[in-house]
Amino acid sequence: MTTLIHTIPSLVASLTGSLVQDGHADAGHAAEQVGHAVSHGIATPVEGPLWIALIPLLPIVGLLLATFAAIFKVKSKLPAFLTVGCLAGAFGVAVGAYQHLSGMAPGSTMVVTAFEWFDLSWGKGTGQNFHADFAFYIDTLTCLWMLFVTGLATLIALYASEYMSHDVGTGYCRFFAAFNLFVFSMACLVMGENLLVLFLGWEGVGLCSYLLIGYFYKKPAAVDAAKKAFIMNRIGDFGLLMGIFLTFVKFGTISYPELWPLVQPYIEAVKAGHVGDVPLTVSLIPILFMIGAFGKSAQLPLYVWLPDAMEGPTPVSALIHAATMVTAGVYLIARTYPLFLVSEYALPIVGWVGAITALLAATIGMAQFDIKRIMAYSTVSQLGYMFCGLAVLSSAGAAYHVFTHAFFKATLFLCCGAVMHGFGGQLDLRKLSGVAFMKGWGIVGIAMLVGCLNLAGFPFTAGFFSKDMIIAESFVTAGPGYGLIGWILLLTAGLTAYYTFRVFFRVFVGPKSYEPGDEAHDHDDDHAHGEEHNHDAGEHGDHHADHFHPHAPGLAINLVLGILALASIVAAGAYFIDTDHHGWVGKMVHESSANYTGSAAFLDAAGHGADAHGHDAGDAEHAAHGSFLGMDPHKVMYYVSGVVGFIGIGAAFYLHYLGRKTAATSKADTLLPLLGPIPRWAQHKWYVDEFYNAVIVLPLRVLAHVFHAIDRLLVDGLVNLAGVLPRLVGARIRPWQNGVMHGYAVGMVGGLALLIAAVVLLSM
Amino acid sequence: MTFGLANLANAAGSTLAQAGFPEPMSTPALAHYLFLSAVLFVIGMVGFVTRRNLIIMFLCTELMFQAAGLALIAFSRFHLHHTGQTFVIFVLTIAAAEAALALALVVLLFRKKDSLSGEEWREMQG
Amino acid sequence: MGSCPGVTASCGEHSGRVLEQLTHPFLLFLGLAFGGVGLCLALPRKRVNPQVIGAVLGGLGIGIVLLGLGLRNPEQLPNYNFYIFGIIAAGSALRVITHPRPVYAALYFILTILASCGLYLILSAEFMAFALVIVYAGAILITYLFVIMLATQAPSEDQLESLAEYDVESRSPVVAAVTGFVLLAALTTMFFKGSTTLEAPLAIHPDALLAQMPNKVTPEKVMRSLEREGTVEEGESFVALDPEAGTVTVLGLEGERVVAIPDDLGVKNVEAVGFDLLNEHPGSIEIAGVVLLMAMLGATVLSRKQVEFEEEAKLRQSRALSAEGGVFSDKEVRP
Repeated sequence: MTTLIHTIPSLVASLTGSLVQDGHADAGHAAEQVGHAVSHGIATPVEGPLWIALIPLLPIVGLLLATFAAIFKVKSKLPAFLTVGCLAGAFGVAVGAYQHLSGMAPGSTMVVTAFEWFDLSWGKGTGQNFHADFAFYIDTLTCLWMLFVTGLATLIALYASEYMSHDVGTGYCRFFAAFNLFVFSMACLVMGENLLVLFLGWEGVGLCSYLLIGYFYKKPAAVDAAKKAFIMNRIGDFGLLMGIFLTFVKFGTISYPELWPLVQPYIEAVKAGHVGDVPLTVSLIPILFMIGAFGKSAQLPLYVWLPDAMEGPTPVSALIHAATMVTAGVYLIARTYPLFLVSEYALPIVGWVGAITALLAATIGMAQFDIKRIMAYSTVSQLGYMFCGLAVLSSAGAAYHVFTHAFFKATLFLCCGAVMHGFGGQLDLRKLSGVAFMKGWGIVGIAMLVGCLNLAGFPFTAGFFSKDMIIAESFVTAGPGYGLIGWILLLTAGLTAYYTFRVFFRVFVGPKSYEPGDEAHDHDDDHAHGEEHNHDAGEHGDHHADHFHPHAPGLAINLVLGILALASIVAAGAYFIDTDHHGWVGKMVHESSANYTGSAAFLDAAGHGADAHGHDAGDAEHAAHGSFLGMDPHKVMYYVSGVVGFIGIGAAFYLHYLGRKTAATSKADTLLPLLGPIPRWAQHKWYVDEFYNAVIVLPLRVLAHVFHAIDRLLVDGLVNLAGVLPRLVGARIRPWQNGVMHGYAVGMVGGLALLIAAVVLLSM
Repeated sequence: MTFGLANLANAAGSTLAQAGFPEPMSTPALAHYLFLSAVLFVIGMVGFVTRRNLIIMFLCTELMFQAAGLALIAFSRFHLHHTGQTFVIFVLTIAAAEAALALALVVLLFRKKDSLSGEEWREMQG
Repeated sequence: MGSCPGVTASCGEHSGRVLEQLTHPFLLFLGLAFGGVGLCLALPRKRVNPQVIGAVLGGLGIGIVLLGLGLRNPEQLPNYNFYIFGIIAAGSALRVITHPRPVYAALYFILTILASCGLYLILSAEFMAFALVIVYAGAILITYLFVIMLATQAPSEDQLESLAEYDVESRSPVVAAVTGFVLLAALTTMFFKGSTTLEAPLAIHPDALLAQMPNKVTPEKVMRSLEREGTVEEGESFVALDPEAGTVTVLGLEGERVVAIPDDLGVKNVEAVGFDLLNEHPGSIEIAGVVLLMAMLGATVLSRKQVEFEEEAKLRQSRALSAEGGVFSDKEVRP
């Protein structure tokens, strides 16, 4: 993590140097030239050094160590520290990989092959040779993702070492084993050289999500949530799998270096304006990928698992459901961006789904009382932003929002976790107040404030810049109804600011009061805090609130929170490093396959193939490409979104801070009856879960009962019939053996007659 | 030996008034005799299967012997060879022996169950 | 039955032929069907007793078949006596199996034997005809009648005549009749096909066997028979005897002339059968003798009455036998 800070200046140096070398570009051909020159994600890859394979390998080592710890019944925090060590090592290697890559020409890629995985061939034509190596494809997009994934993983593992400490024993080892497996899967997903390794990682993160959400397997709610998450992911995975199949069938390969040249002709066609040249199968692939992305990144209609996933331990929520797994969908779309660009309908659908999801989740979040749930809905909402970013051709904006969101959302979750950990599982904001002012909770309060400011988009925070990029682009890009998307996103920004600060003003500031939750537990010696407690074991519970002392977070938690808060602030600085490409993140994106190549199929009006939509050039003309109330969005959006943020924060301040005396009520409660049934509907999540239950689950259950009946009656019936039949036949035939001579004689004679008749017939 | 047999022997008449085979028998004529033999045989068989009285059952077997004998004699006449008649002698012999033994057994069975019905004996049931 | 190669048309043809051959002897099957139904009806049963109708139908059936057989080859009918004896035989055989009383059944069987005897006579098997009557009707059937007498229960006072349960009702008449019909149809189908594989052999003169009887046909006996018949004159002498042709060559006044072998020197049926029996089947005669011996001994052993004696009575009897006037005792029998 410290190396990150060291890297940035060198980054600045190398990049500004290269920028000077590029020189000025002619405005007219700026877009085209830069578009061509910077579509480096499609460059042929070079062979990369093998030590890059350590990035996925070290988490496997961590997994094995945690497993051994479980076998040897280790009862200390050793597995946690081993995990932290392995993940820190992986982070170090990721930094090294980035250094290595930045030493090469801009836009170059590396391929590191671990071993040959599949090589099947059943013919000579296209689509008859399936070749997939277990290889890693390292370009700048990969590096970007892996840096924050491994960094956050290390920090959160450190956080979890204290958070999960009451579970020391086999549960602890299980947690860190699954944690390591998750990081490995995420590495495969992000670093995969072909869609198969990506799919391996995709499934792996789904599996680990299941394992970790259901970590408290004795709680039925957790088990249900784990199942729900897994099953909804599966629905998305089906779409992804179909997309991979279709890719293979259409292009004959699923490996990125081989795929991009095959997609190039379609890109050219779209650039020349012949959108109709792109066949249906190619247009269909991104739509199928999209379904997978929606499942993994919790968009409409597959988002309902994410709030329930909060049943898992908070580090899990922070890592998986805030920063890494849910961004896998965004990554998928970014990685296969060329395919999305040539499809006429893919990106608009992505954009609209993202926008609607963002608004929907924000409205639900406004009415929830469980702070982790609120954060979960805000994650869904922000993911909607990221998808919109991709849709409005600001893949840089989306990636930057991923980057910043990872940090501040992790911060927010970890702070909520600290609150939960300290107050015995209490998460209801009607029962907590003034936490930041309690002894030992200062750092938590500050970290929370930093995170909230980022989430709300307070000016000059990282979240502000990233969100702004997306909203601005949405007014610029000429897609179907994109202007309306921009307004929706703006409105959502305001709502986001409101509910974020609702949490902050209710829980962290204001009069000090608290009620312990249901999990008020004993304090072990393991906890590293400096306070002494003299309450008896066993005297916990709500009615003994006065005996309960809040458990301030220890060193590990505070350290991690501090680092993350700092990182959130520093991430803002990345915006300014390479302003030509919208920041360091933007540069990373533009040198990868996620780059907007200057042509997109869905852009309406003719001649947009080679449109001058060259925001890459920074100062290109924006003539007649949409505007915000008559003004140029790029210049104006900073102020507009800042104002909107202030309005939100102000509303939260008024309603939830001013004049609040208790934890339970605030001025907002007096307003609620004015809105009628709407707050109640929002609190019930707009009854989406109930709708799914009625429309999907119930018919399936009925069908299951029908099949059960068929199985019992038809299948079992047939089998039973096979048993009954001999008995019936036997009952008919048995009387023939009655010992009476005449019956046997008849039989003999009849047989003789038939025999002779047969002989006569045959001889004819 | 010759009283009226010549008339019996050959409707067509012949100057050869010897006993023996005046003329070979035609195949269609043979068919009539064989048909009669088959009818007798089947009647005997049906009787054997149908009647319950043990003695009548054995009588029907004797009927079947009769039919066989008739067929043998008819073929002997057809082939102009005396082996058929010789064989009927043996058939007769065996029929006699069998009848003796069968009736002895029937007497024994009658003594056991005091009834001549074949259905009384069901030891082999099942 | 070969397979039908190739063309399905020929297969269809083949199966069509089979079908045709199955139904061609329609007359046969019709007649047999009548016969079967008649048989079924004729069999004794408890309540309704259409035995007469059954008999009529049976007769009708046999009549149809014989008619059919006859109409196919009208020039080659058997002797008219065949029909008489045949009807009697079939009719009485039917009565044997349908009459409820055993004694009557046996008597009808004797009638069947007599009809058979007639048929044997037509077929020039006189010896067998008489042997049949003597052995079968005279010995075997008498035995049957004796046993029937032994085994029939005496009628009690209230019943004038008792008919045993098992005699009155026949067992599964329909199945038996159907089976009989199928068997008969199978057995007789070939007749209506006109089985052509049977070849009537060439005529052999019946007196050909004389060649093996030299002592019977010495020249003196031949000449004496011929003179007695009046076929030859005085003074004609014997030249040769030709058994194959059945002629005697006689040297007469005008020269040699051929006359038929005299009647009383011809080969009789008995002689022929005897020759055949002893020439061809000597071993079988011996075996037949042994079989008859076994049968006699077996029948005697089997039908011995086991007399039940009490143990003491047995003892007493043996003591008595040995004590007083037994065969081997010394004492004299006291008066």
